[in-house]
Amino acid sequence: MSPTVSPANRLLRESLQRAGYLADADLATTVWLAGELQRPLLLEGDAGVGKTALATALAQAQGAVLVRLQCFEGLDLAQAAYEWNYGRQLMAIRLHDGQLGTVKESDLFSREFLLDRPLLKAISQDGPCVLLIDEIDRADEAFEAFLLEVLADYQITVPEIGTLRARHIPRVVLTSNATRELSDALRRRCLYHHLDYPTLAREIAIVKTALPDADTRLVEEAVQFVQRLRSEDLTKIPGIAETLDWVNALHRMSHHTLPDDMAVLLTTLGCLLKTREDRFGLGADRARQLIEGRRKVGVAEKAQANAATS
Amino acid sequence: MNLSPALAPSETLAGFAALLRDHGLSVGVAEQRAMLQAALIVGGLNGSRLNAAWRAIACHSAREWRLWPDLFDRYWHPERLRGTVRVSGQTRPQRDLRQAVQQLHEQMDAAQQLPTAAKSAPQTAAADAPHAGAGNSDAGTPRGMSGASRSEPQLEALHRRDGQMWLPQELGALQRLARQITAQLRPLPTRRWCHAPPGHRLDLRQTLRRSVALGGEPLAPAWQVRRLDPPRLFILADVSRSMESHAALFLRIARVFALEAQARVFVFHTRLAEVTPLMQRDSATVQEKINAVSASFGAGTRIASSLQDFARVHARTQLRRGARVWVMSDGFDTDAPEQLADALRMLRGRGARITWFHPTRRVPAAVAMQNAREHIHRFVPLACLADLAAARPFLH
Repeated sequence: MSPTVSPANRLLRESLQRAGYLADADLATTVWLAGELQRPLLLEGDAGVGKTALATALAQAQGAVLVRLQCFEGLDLAQAAYEWNYGRQLMAIRLHDGQLGTVKESDLFSREFLLDRPLLKAISQDGPCVLLIDEIDRADEAFEAFLLEVLADYQITVPEIGTLRARHIPRVVLTSNATRELSDALRRRCLYHHLDYPTLAREIAIVKTALPDADTRLVEEAVQFVQRLRSEDLTKIPGIAETLDWVNALHRMSHHTLPDDMAVLLTTLGCLLKTREDRFGLGADRARQLIEGRRKVGVAEKAQANAATS
Repeated sequence: MNLSPALAPSETLAGFAALLRDHGLSVGVAEQRAMLQAALIVGGLNGSRLNAAWRAIACHSAREWRLWPDLFDRYWHPERLRGTVRVSGQTRPQRDLRQAVQQLHEQMDAAQQLPTAAKSAPQTAAADAPHAGAGNSDAGTPRGMSGASRSEPQLEALHRRDGQMWLPQELGALQRLARQITAQLRPLPTRRWCHAPPGHRLDLRQTLRRSVALGGEPLAPAWQVRRLDPPRLFILADVSRSMESHAALFLRIARVFALEAQARVFVFHTRLAEVTPLMQRDSATVQEKINAVSASFGAGTRIASSLQDFARVHARTQLRRGARVWVMSDGFDTDAPEQLADALRMLRGRGARITWFHPTRRVPAAVAMQNAREHIHRFVPLACLADLAAARPFLH
């Protein structure tokens, strides 16, 4: 089998790269296929691996409008899809109060009195649009059920008006941190891609793309450190965003390599470690070991430590 | 790809879909159609891209995502699997229900004729232990450990058999028991509030929003109550060689809790694998499928490594305060003894409450278990359904 790449797929990958997102071949294929099959794309993975960034880069790459729906507990139809503009309806009633032809109910419950929320806004777009439904696992299960109609048929039913169909099928990207199980019905309507932490080479490339001014040696050493740090027992594993923050911080502090002084290094680790336990769990010695590439405490050191404690 | 000329592509794809379904992936007609469509768009000759496209269509969760490369190679590139060990998936000779009932009747008759000589039904936890119920002298060795409830005469054979063959009324009893235990798992009060018609607190925001439609009059107040989250239940069943005779019972129990309490079920010996999707299906060959999932596992039991893998990878985002982790194992671990305590400490650190179900009457006496005992909330003997019923008051 020859690994030929279709022009459309290659173009998509290149345009994503121009938008600052380095997608691997599998991810590019999935994103491309989602567009071809007009299916939503469900991205799952740990926080900070680039799920949301993919949607923003896709919108930028395709010159599309990005409509973002940030999910949270208690998110309801009125906040996600549409809401009647009651104030305007009351005003319309008052304005027509003294006139001969009184205002009818059908006049008040028409499209012009409807407030567009993200879902309705996305399907009402005339041009290309990317709808980002971010952190769907934070929304309630009832809201997932409502989403099924939007995701399957790209339409929203408003009882007073009828069914509003999408004029231009939006590219839908859903993200989830897997803090709760999503329903099978929702999953089966989507193409699925699990985003993992990037490999060393890919992460170096990502950081270099995002921070072209940073010294190459600094980028390589920092990324190597972060990769080793991810194998530690951490409450919150640093993602790509954290790596970028850290390298940016070191770059702004005019470092060309990782600082030899552990005190300086530890002061910047707040960019990577976001919980108290993780921060205090990583001391100067362990940080030095990670820089030098020693993943575990050696037998000799362990014996020395035991001897010292006894 | 290894397409047989005798088969049409759709038939070959149907075979692949059947393999995926056997491993718990939800691949229906819609998915097959999408896969065919993808093959037409991508082109059948472009293997790597087609692999990525089909993976996006057929996988719906992280578990399936990790499982995919192996399944894809197994079906389309069997030549790459040359030299690996194939396991039939069958651990015991298959019997039909009539034979089992016949055998049980014979055993009951024998028990009535010779009540003192009757020891146990052949499938129970310590059926092969020569000194079952004879004392504690053999405790501490895997083969010498006697069953959890072996001291009483086995008059209620049906009630005391383990999970290899189950009659409908026993399954019903297990289901009722699981429902009762699930109902008494204490939900956790959260800081969040949710809508409820007869609530404790006025939802001012919602009330004001509703009042707009009524000209500003708050005629339809909205109420809230404090939200209670049911605890997440994780069941980790040891399916290693030493647990072979108990694994069927454990998996049967795990399956009922997967259905009743939406528990996530994992099996482990040298590695850990999630089997929740297999548990949620009504199939008579669950045991066979689970064996197939764990076919590439080696010998021995690495409990500590499996627990670490569970905490760091599989349940990392869902292990929170109040999570219940039920480990079903005899406690014999080939990892370093201190590792188990570390792994359990990590689980406790995430707020999980650990219950250890052991098939023996006495608490496992392995060195690793002795070190780790302080991290385990409760030990529960579990060799038959009666043991689970007896443990019901403590499982909350």
